[in-house]
Amino acid sequence: MDEIQELLEDFLVEAFEMIEEMDQDLVELENTPDDLDLLNKIFRVAHTIKGSGSFLNFDKLTRLTHHMEAVLDKARKGELTITPDIMDVILESVDAMKGILEYIRDNGDDSAPDIDIEPIVTELDAIVKGENTQAKTSESEKKPNIVGNINLDEITLENADEIDFSTLSPEEADAVLEHLVELRNKEDMSENEKKPNIVGNINLDEITLENADEIDFDTLTPEEADAVLEHLVELRNKEDLQEEHDDNKQSSKEHKENKDSEKNENKAPTVKKETSMQINKEQKKKEVKKAISSVAEQTIRVDVKRLDQLMNLIGELVLAKNRLIKIYNDVEERYEGEKFLEELNQVVSSISIVTTDLQIAVMKTRMLPIGKVFNKFPRLVRDLSRELGKKVKLIIEGEDTELDKSIIEEIGDPLVHMIRNSVDHGIEPPEERKAKGKPEEGTVWLRAYNEGNMIVIEIKDDGKGMDPEMLKKKAIEKGIITETEAANMADKEAFMLIFKPGFSTAAKVTSVSGRGVGMDVVKTNIEKLNGIIEVDSAPGKGTTFKLKIPLTLAIIQALLVASQEDLFAVPLSNVIETVRIVEEDIYTIEGKSVLKLREEVLPLVNMADIFEIEKVLEPEKYLYVVILGLGATKIGLIVDRFIGQEEIVIKSLGEFLKGIPGIAGATIRGDGRVTLIIDVGSLMRLAKETHNKKVVTESLNEAKKKKEKPSDYTVMLVDDSAMDRKIMRNALQELGVNLIEAKDGMEALQMLKNNEVDAMLIDIEMPRMDGYTLAQEIRKYNKYRKLPLIAVTSRTTKADRVRGVEVGMNEYITKPYTAEYLQNVVKRNLGL
Amino acid sequence: MGSLNEIVKQQQKSLTQPQENVAEEIVQLVGFIVGEEEFAVPILSIQEIIKPIEWTRVPFTPDYVLGVFNLRGNVLPLIDLRVKFGSPANDIDENTRFIVMKIRDEDVAFIIDRLTSALRIKKKNILPPPDTYSNEEDIIEGVGRMDDGRIITILKVDNLIKREEIVPENN
Repeated sequence: MDEIQELLEDFLVEAFEMIEEMDQDLVELENTPDDLDLLNKIFRVAHTIKGSGSFLNFDKLTRLTHHMEAVLDKARKGELTITPDIMDVILESVDAMKGILEYIRDNGDDSAPDIDIEPIVTELDAIVKGENTQAKTSESEKKPNIVGNINLDEITLENADEIDFSTLSPEEADAVLEHLVELRNKEDMSENEKKPNIVGNINLDEITLENADEIDFDTLTPEEADAVLEHLVELRNKEDLQEEHDDNKQSSKEHKENKDSEKNENKAPTVKKETSMQINKEQKKKEVKKAISSVAEQTIRVDVKRLDQLMNLIGELVLAKNRLIKIYNDVEERYEGEKFLEELNQVVSSISIVTTDLQIAVMKTRMLPIGKVFNKFPRLVRDLSRELGKKVKLIIEGEDTELDKSIIEEIGDPLVHMIRNSVDHGIEPPEERKAKGKPEEGTVWLRAYNEGNMIVIEIKDDGKGMDPEMLKKKAIEKGIITETEAANMADKEAFMLIFKPGFSTAAKVTSVSGRGVGMDVVKTNIEKLNGIIEVDSAPGKGTTFKLKIPLTLAIIQALLVASQEDLFAVPLSNVIETVRIVEEDIYTIEGKSVLKLREEVLPLVNMADIFEIEKVLEPEKYLYVVILGLGATKIGLIVDRFIGQEEIVIKSLGEFLKGIPGIAGATIRGDGRVTLIIDVGSLMRLAKETHNKKVVTESLNEAKKKKEKPSDYTVMLVDDSAMDRKIMRNALQELGVNLIEAKDGMEALQMLKNNEVDAMLIDIEMPRMDGYTLAQEIRKYNKYRKLPLIAVTSRTTKADRVRGVEVGMNEYITKPYTAEYLQNVVKRNLGL
Repeated sequence: MGSLNEIVKQQQKSLTQPQENVAEEIVQLVGFIVGEEEFAVPILSIQEIIKPIEWTRVPFTPDYVLGVFNLRGNVLPLIDLRVKFGSPANDIDENTRFIVMKIRDEDVAFIIDRLTSALRIKKKNILPPPDTYSNEEDIIEGVGRMDDGRIITILKVDNLIKREEIVPENN
């Protein structure tokens, strides 16, 4: 049972894959009806599904594919040209086939009560018979071939086993048998008519069950091997069927002669036959499997959960690696020139390389080619263009580009919307195109390629393009933007208007698009994937959409920024660029701060305002801005410092804290500290609110406190010797600055927290905490990054000075010193 | 959960059946100081007690949520019990500890000023919180009377923090 189940699963996976391909091939075929290779390929797919289907006793499926095959076979022999009408029927049957396969997948049998294949079969038959009018065929079909209670038309070779002859009257049984023989003959004849069945270098017709042992599978290509095996299975099936048929015939004759003996005679052989068939099938299955495993590519199917688990473990490893690198850097500083460093360096580098490789390898196991999604679009475009009366050609490129499975699953719907949009709104009707001097047939390009850690999906059409002024006018009419906003809007921003909810550009609403929901949905979906949408358009020339999506979601590249003293990780996939500006670059429009960056006008928000972070840092000459992009929105985010780029692993904040606005989670950095990760979508919404109520230039000045006179400044003196403190005090009192004193490092640190200090004079040797450690501790805070620290000590060796610089001292004064010298140093450091 | 009722029931029982041994049941607690007061939690609810380590502030949270910190690769929330209980925040000194407790299957750390001791207290000596206590949030399990006459407030660990108080639902 398990083996059958396994076989069934394999069959379904294979069948779905083939059908997907078939869809695409068929549409291609419509354009090049004479492409024999293509025809052969399509024929083989139908044939394979029929073969495997009958093998697994899916009669409905087999019946459908059999008729499809007949049509394709005829086309293949050049007796039939595929017209769009015929293609409609074929595509319809492919859809029915899909439906049945889906039913099989969900229910395990092919009864699929919702799918009625009879009308399709009728149409397919009509095509084979060369009748183009459907009416005619249905008419002839209407005279069913009925004998007694039996409709002979319902009986096929495939469902013959199901007939219970014991329930039939002698006349009925005769008629049925005759009908079956006729069918068999027909099939044999059509079998004979076939051209030699050639795959690769192998003529399948030469292979029989008897000479099968002579085939050397090792010399065959996988395709050839498959074909040969299939052929053998088919032959075997045919033989079985023939035997059974004979048996039935015989037994029913007996039944005529002797009604009493009928039951025993009839049942026994059938039962026997069934078991022997079962055995045959098992054997065949084994043969097939054995042969396939010797030639086919080695693959293994794995539960996605296991891959997720693996990915989590790798995440931990990446964190540990980051930590190791950080520790190595610390060690390197401290023990520079030591021999063991070299060795440590090698170990750290190799672990780091292996971890990265491992991460890439595991990521790759989760990757699928985007072709999986792209495959359905030729069909979509074909159906759409027929429905809309347009001529559209779809060109697909880069279908091998790979993406994480979870992203592949999410990307399908937005792409459908975008393609529909391009065909419906972008491409003009043929007459219009002709009038404009364009080729009648419009083109839509669907392209995928890698760009750094992102994948770019480009949807481009050569249609009518978009007019930014029209879009603006429309948006104002609908109350989406104000006149002033429109006046300040660059063309690129105007194109983004189509992603606003409630915005629809189609003059009339069609069944395809124009209800103003589609593009909004696209935006939401892409935002869910942390992706960015870019639009470019030229009126009359066409429109290009670019979707930029991160390759994976679990381990991401992030830009680390500091807002005041807090660090945040911004997903790099949403960082469009970083710029350094001065306050004069900030404009205020209608009470809102904006940044003019080249052509664009971007809303500008201070990150500290968004997260309500207390401002302790005085603004500097330059402001650092992260340009964030998500979906169709862009904003400028003022931060206080760029820290750098790092690979981070997203961790949840736990049940109690998850879902905090603007925060997607946390990551553990190399130094073991936790850094919050920005949820760009949520941050954008917060930023919008903040943008409406806070002018950046004002917010920047909040921390700016005017210091003019020396008495506005405070200097802390740290020394364990009361006498030394007194000397310093005496020297500095003349300056007029405030002085506070601490006896050791611990006390100094405590006082620093409670007082506003502008400079510190620090002795090195002190109890509890020495001057070096104090400086080191102070520099850990972003707030004190620029606080002048002046070492005042009697330690005079070069090593001491170097150590002082290392821990972050700004100046080094050796005792004894003159009062004047000390004053000058302090004045210089305070900027007095 | 519902243990308050159990205690009441047991106390009633012990009044009616003074000779039975349930009254001798011992509860093990860990006592600590927050602000001016001594509190205790059942020893079994404590995962571990650690010395203070650096934490990261989290925006948009009540002031008693100090932030999150890294405990051996896990990100844990850090709650200041002083602020939670309405006293001003204290400086961290050498006696300050983080108590990590499991609340609804999640590890959460609480800052306390100082550990006192492990306590063994007879169940019959635990009384329901007196009416004079403000216990609107239902965070007090009962009041323990120690043999030496000390009175200790026993906390209901599961109710110490609630998600809806930390992250407003509508946002």
